[in-house]
Amino acid sequence: MKTLSLRNLGKTYFDPYAGAHVTAVHDVSLDVEPGEFISVVGPSGCGKTTILNMIAGFIPYSKGDILLDGKPVHGPGPERGVVFQSFALFPWKTVLDNVGFGPKMRGVPKAERDRIAHEYLALAGLSHAAHRYPNELSGGMQQRVGVVRALANNPDVLLMDEPFASVDAQTRMTLQEELTRIWQERKPTVIFITHDVSEAVFLANRVVVLSKGRVLDEIAVDLPRPRIWDDLVRDDEFKQLSARVLQMVRAA
Amino acid sequence: MQLTGSLKGRSSRLMRSVNSLAGAAMFVAPLLALVAVWAAVVPLFNVNPRVFPSVGAVGTAALDSIRDGTLFAHVGASLLRVGLGTLIGIATAVPLGIAMGVSPTVAAFLTPLFRFFSVLAGIAWIPIATLWFGYGFGAIVFVIFNAVFFVVAYNTLLGVRTIPHTLRNAAASLGAGRWALLTEVLLPGALPNIVTGIRTGLGFAWRGLIAAEMIATNVGLGYMLFVARDFYRTEVIVFGMIVIGVLWLLIDRLLLVPLERATIERWGMVRRA
Repeated sequence: MKTLSLRNLGKTYFDPYAGAHVTAVHDVSLDVEPGEFISVVGPSGCGKTTILNMIAGFIPYSKGDILLDGKPVHGPGPERGVVFQSFALFPWKTVLDNVGFGPKMRGVPKAERDRIAHEYLALAGLSHAAHRYPNELSGGMQQRVGVVRALANNPDVLLMDEPFASVDAQTRMTLQEELTRIWQERKPTVIFITHDVSEAVFLANRVVVLSKGRVLDEIAVDLPRPRIWDDLVRDDEFKQLSARVLQMVRAA
Repeated sequence: MQLTGSLKGRSSRLMRSVNSLAGAAMFVAPLLALVAVWAAVVPLFNVNPRVFPSVGAVGTAALDSIRDGTLFAHVGASLLRVGLGTLIGIATAVPLGIAMGVSPTVAAFLTPLFRFFSVLAGIAWIPIATLWFGYGFGAIVFVIFNAVFFVVAYNTLLGVRTIPHTLRNAAASLGAGRWALLTEVLLPGALPNIVTGIRTGLGFAWRGLIAAEMIATNVGLGYMLFVARDFYRTEVIVFGMIVIGVLWLLIDRLLLVPLERATIERWGMVRRA
């Protein structure tokens, strides 16, 4: 079992426009257990996307450590799957080949990776779209592909960077429900970045509130699963938790 | 669900063929109008055939050159030179363009050289090419290669630079190494620009070919025009010009457009023209 740890993580970079060094992340420590679903929420500029990009290995960190199963993380790698806000599907590959891309990189033969891809597409209700190209799909469907493409590679941690921010509100609720269902079936370890408080509470076991590059607080969410919006909008515990997190984020 | 899908597919295919038929008519009509004006003006003003030939004379010249096989010899020679020069140009320019797109150092070092040589590309090389390769095949292929190389390399560089960085990140986080990044992301991602580069480069190459063939050979379309001039055969000159234009349109329609349709248009990376 793999555990992700952030130890006193910090990021400072030079801003050529301001002509000065800017600290996006001051000092963040966080331990993520296998199979946990963590939401990281905070106002824009709180450093949440910077943290995700450091864990993904897209940008180097300035201080502290990122440890996966005790080993330091440098650069991108397939044990950390990423779901992007802009979907980042390969336009020149069919849906099937997008989802099979990770297995292909591992050297899985064509027939086997097609089988894997079909299995994951079925999980997201996308079997009918297997042979289409991304530009032929709606935004919601593209992001379903983005999620299962990352999952099909069996990562130890799934990093999600505001993945549902650019789809319409109804689609977003459906995607959130599907994600909680898939999480229950597969139990991947998830770090989910969002600025949407109710989304953070709806999805997670634990909500981490960030402010100005520091962890402000952590709130455990023990709402029963499966979680469905029709139930939770009337649920007192959900409303109280959301209100508490919202208060923190607004004060942050 | 599947039935409506295939019906929709069929009707859109029908619409597309109707559209392309209409498009072809729109394209041919102005050319026919030009021929009609030509056919009317030459007898009306009794134009000297040494100045401009009649439609009939050009038709006769066309039939003659087809019958005795000279047309095919000229066209074959020209196409072979353009084809070979273009292939060598693409095969060398794409890897260099990608190297420039990936490495800022390589790009910074080569950019001034590119600026300089892209102005010189093509026919300015004819004199020295004939010194290096002699009159004929080698010199002409070199000139074509030159015309294609710089524009394709530059467009490949642009193509690599315009690939969204998240796509590279996505590939890396799915386990792609350097080679996979190249073949799975950079090459297909740069393809829209590479195709643009090939199209522009082929245009340069085609012009460069005609110029080079006027000077440096004894077969080919450019040579056919140039020799006809010595004998005041305006009907052969005009026929040659028509062949040059029509061949270019055919290359574009039969080679480049289907390539774009099967790749970058299908992927939604450019809008359908």
